Amino acid sequence: MTTTELARPGRTEPVAPLGRAPRPVKTSTVVLTAVAVLVGVGFVLPAIWILIGSFRPNAEILTTMSPLSRHLVIPSEVTLENYVHLLVDSGFARALLNSFIVCIASVAIGLAMSAMAAYALAVYQFPGRNLIFAVIVISFMVPFEAIAIPLAQQFTDWGLGNTMIGLILPGVANGLAIFNLRQYFLGIPQSYREAAMLDGASEPRILFSLYARLSGPALTNSALLIFLGQWTAFLWPLLIVSDSDLQLAPVALAGTFGEHAADYGQNFAGTIVLTLVPAISMFVLQRFFGRLSIGSGEK
Amino acid sequence: MASSTVTSEPVAAKRRRAGRRQELIWAAIFLSPAIAALVVLRVVPTVGAVVQSLYKAFPGGIIPATFHGLGNYESLFSDPNFVDTIVRTLIFNVIINPVQIVLALLLAVLFVQKIPAVGVWRTLVFIPITVPIVGSCIAWGAALNPDGPVNALLSALGGNPQPFLTSPNQALASIILLASWIGIGYWMLFLISGLQAIPEELYDAAKIDRAGAIRTFFSITVPMLRRPLLFVLVADTVANFVLFVPVQLLTQGGPQNSTTLLMFDAYRTTYGYGSRNLGAAEVVILTAIMIFFVLLQFRLLRDERTPR
Repeated sequence: MTTTELARPGRTEPVAPLGRAPRPVKTSTVVLTAVAVLVGVGFVLPAIWILIGSFRPNAEILTTMSPLSRHLVIPSEVTLENYVHLLVDSGFARALLNSFIVCIASVAIGLAMSAMAAYALAVYQFPGRNLIFAVIVISFMVPFEAIAIPLAQQFTDWGLGNTMIGLILPGVANGLAIFNLRQYFLGIPQSYREAAMLDGASEPRILFSLYARLSGPALTNSALLIFLGQWTAFLWPLLIVSDSDLQLAPVALAGTFGEHAADYGQNFAGTIVLTLVPAISMFVLQRFFGRLSIGSGEK
Repeated sequence: MASSTVTSEPVAAKRRRAGRRQELIWAAIFLSPAIAALVVLRVVPTVGAVVQSLYKAFPGGIIPATFHGLGNYESLFSDPNFVDTIVRTLIFNVIINPVQIVLALLLAVLFVQKIPAVGVWRTLVFIPITVPIVGSCIAWGAALNPDGPVNALLSALGGNPQPFLTSPNQALASIILLASWIGIGYWMLFLISGLQAIPEELYDAAKIDRAGAIRTFFSITVPMLRRPLLFVLVADTVANFVLFVPVQLLTQGGPQNSTTLLMFDAYRTTYGYGSRNLGAAEVVILTAIMIFFVLLQFRLLRDERTPR
């Protein structure tokens, strides 16, 4: 207990009592705590306002905005009407489904592609290996937005505008996913691979049955990266899709924000839905992640 | 060849060589999807943007595009609106990046102190990260409404209500505010893990030397954090140069072009005005400026290391 606390930098208490009274330390702790609480609450307040707004009657959001009163965050009644309107009456449910399809396909393709590249770059010795690794990782870390506009023009020329493939493709390549997987694969002993080869396993089999099975945490992490990238994407679907049947959730949400300026209830509910999906998937995958690292007790 | 027991050595060597060629083939097979993606998703659009920027076409595409040399760049830089956009983008980045990094650093230092329930307050600061940027923009678009809660708070504190997003003087500052709400907690996470990696002995030594808190911060914390700070600064700069969603969603570049940043301008030129070639030139300019700033930051923060 004390050792972990001592390991923290910037602690205010002396290691051993130096004969100084603890009083001044306490005042500084009180001040720091007050600042920490204020900062924390300041950051979270807009999010809480959105969360509460999504569960209150829509009309009430506007009337309680100003002047400042406790009603800003205390609703007169808790209702699901915003969610019902959003998911039943508007096209948002369709957009959510599209987003899920794009995310799941991107994760599946992206993981397979990243794992294959990472395996080749971790296991085989060939000239130019490190250069290829660096080029792949760095080029996929350059912000996508910078090339999104010319890429969208190319995709439209190739007939990929308004298609699922057009939506999915740019999200599958993730430099961090390749980097993570390669680092993880490098830690898997070569002797495992040699043993599998002696048993007659082919290279794809070694990758997908041995390496992939041993790499749960790294795969989970990479899946999350690809998933979140696609789930929150806004610019790309805006550029590549004009057909409302193919629209993704963030663009659909942004569309309703512009159209009915006063319908904050639906907007807030949509924001919460968009926020909950990554939050829940992170939570679930964290647990999965934890179980895997405990279960794979090979070290 | 016939009796493997006698010529075992050459066979093994041959097999090893065959195995190595086999490996090379597999390496090529496994790498090909990633390399194909690299070419299609990065090389083609980059080269495409440069080539496009050198051509001139009329909207509609009936007449084939003609080679225009640097003509698109010339007309962009002779347009005072575009020069204003460049200057605005630079000012925006010169303000927002240091502000976000300094605040993230201060918060990181605050949240590694020994204070009650520190994990809870820290978590509250990075809750905004989980909100997708469209949601954050909607939240702040509503909050910064003239009749919104931020103005209610200002009034309650005795201030005057402000126009925020509808005023040419305040719209860009409002975008800095909301981008910081999103970003600071994220950058803070990297700096906290950097702070936790600093060996405790350094702080003990500083204490023995009776260095004050401020002296310790600048002589130990900041130099030891140089690597995470450089990473965060570069990543933040890049993210802010391509910041798009708040401008597109909340201000459309206005009022009076006060929030027209280069990224949004490239989008508007390409899709709003249908000038594909001019838009491509803007993308090339944006990328060049971004690379220049990233290299500059690497340069500055590397050079500082040598004297000390």
